[in-house]
Amino acid sequence: MSAPRLAVVVGSGSVKCAAAIGLWRVLRRERIDVDLLVGCSGGAIFAAALALGHDADTVEGMAARFFTREATGRRDRRALWRAALPRLFGFPERWGLRDDRPVLAALRGAFGDRTFADTTTRALFTATDFRNGEQVVLSEGALVDALRASIAIPFAFAPWPVGDRLLVDGFLSDPLPVGVAVREGAHVIVAMGFESPYQSRLSSASRYAFQVSSIMTNNLLRASFAFHGMAHHGEVIPIIPRFERRVGLFDTKMIPYVVEEGERAAEEQVPYLRRLLAAPG
Amino acid sequence: MQISVAQHETVFVVAVAGSLDALTADTLTSALQSELQQGHTQLVAALEGLDYTSSAGLRVLLATVKEARRLGGDLRLAGAQERVRRVLDLSGFTSILKCYADAPAAVASYAA
Repeated sequence: MSAPRLAVVVGSGSVKCAAAIGLWRVLRRERIDVDLLVGCSGGAIFAAALALGHDADTVEGMAARFFTREATGRRDRRALWRAALPRLFGFPERWGLRDDRPVLAALRGAFGDRTFADTTTRALFTATDFRNGEQVVLSEGALVDALRASIAIPFAFAPWPVGDRLLVDGFLSDPLPVGVAVREGAHVIVAMGFESPYQSRLSSASRYAFQVSSIMTNNLLRASFAFHGMAHHGEVIPIIPRFERRVGLFDTKMIPYVVEEGERAAEEQVPYLRRLLAAPG
Repeated sequence: MQISVAQHETVFVVAVAGSLDALTADTLTSALQSELQQGHTQLVAALEGLDYTSSAGLRVLLATVKEARRLGGDLRLAGAQERVRRVLDLSGFTSILKCYADAPAAVASYAA
C-alpha cells in the first residue's frame, strides 16, 4: 500500500465534529481526493460515514439522528447503585452511567453490519486501551464495534471490548490523532480539531468533572498537535473552526451552523492546499 | 511571501508578510539563517502582515529560536494576527516564545 498523499484527521468533539461535513463538502466540490480518513470519538462517526461514500447531505441527516439525548442520554440506574454501593452491587470493569442500548441501536441504525472493508476511502479510528492508556488504531472488523469503542466517554459509556482489549474513548490518548496519519506516511495532513468547551458555571459535580476533563483534553490536544506538527516530514494544515455561538455536546439543532463553519474554515485553506498538492514531491 | 529586515541598534526585525507554509518556508529559513550567520542573534519576527502559518512555518521558527538561543540571543514574535495566533497557541509556541503586541514592544524587550 503506497503512502497516502492527503489524509484528513477529524478529532473528538461530539456535535462539533459535524464541521467535517463542511470540510468534506469543500474537498468534493474542489475535486480534491482524500486517501486516508482518521477519526477519533465523534470525529470517527463522521469519518466512518464519509469513508463509506455517503454524500455530505446524507451524513448531516445521520448526525442529526445520532447525536440526540434519546440516543446518548438515557441513564443506567444500576450503574448509579454500583458506584454508590460497590460492595453490595459489585463494580464491573465495563461501567458507565449511560444505558448502552440506545447508542448501540443508533450506531447499528447508521452503520448496520458494514465493516472497514466496505469503505471507499481508507479509514482508521482511534480508541484508548483502558488498561494501559495506549492509543489503539482500529482498522478492521465491524464499524459499529470500532465506533462504539472510539466514543466510549469515561463515566458516561462503558468501555467496549474489541479483541482481547478493553477500549475507551480515543480522546483520552489523543483528541486529534495526527500521529496516526504521520505514521501512515501521509504527505499532507488536514487536521480538523476542536477544543473542549469550558463550563460557564460549575454548579454540579458533573459540570465540575467536565471542566477538569476539558482542561486536560485541551492541554493534551495542544501538546500532541505541537509534537506531531514538528515531527512530520510534510505539512500539517490545522483547521480549527471558530464557533461564535455556543455548541453543546448534543446540540443537534446546531448541526447546520457547525457544518457551515466547517465549510467556511475549509474554504480558507483551499488555495494553499491546491498549490501544495500541485507542487512536486 | 515578502520579507524585509530592519535594524534597531542590536536588534534585527524580520518582517514577514503573506503565507508561511511548506511552499515558502525555505525563503524565510534562508533569511533568518543569514541574519544569524552575520552574528545578528537578537531577532524579532514581525508578523503583522502574516496571513497564515502551517506546521512547515512553525518548524522554521522553532529551528531559528533554538539556534539564536544557542548563540546567546533570541527570536521574539510581534504582532501576530488572530488567525496566526491561534495556530501558535495550538502548537504550544506561545509558551516557548516571547510574544509582543507589536514590533516596537518586542524590540524594547531586549533592552529590559
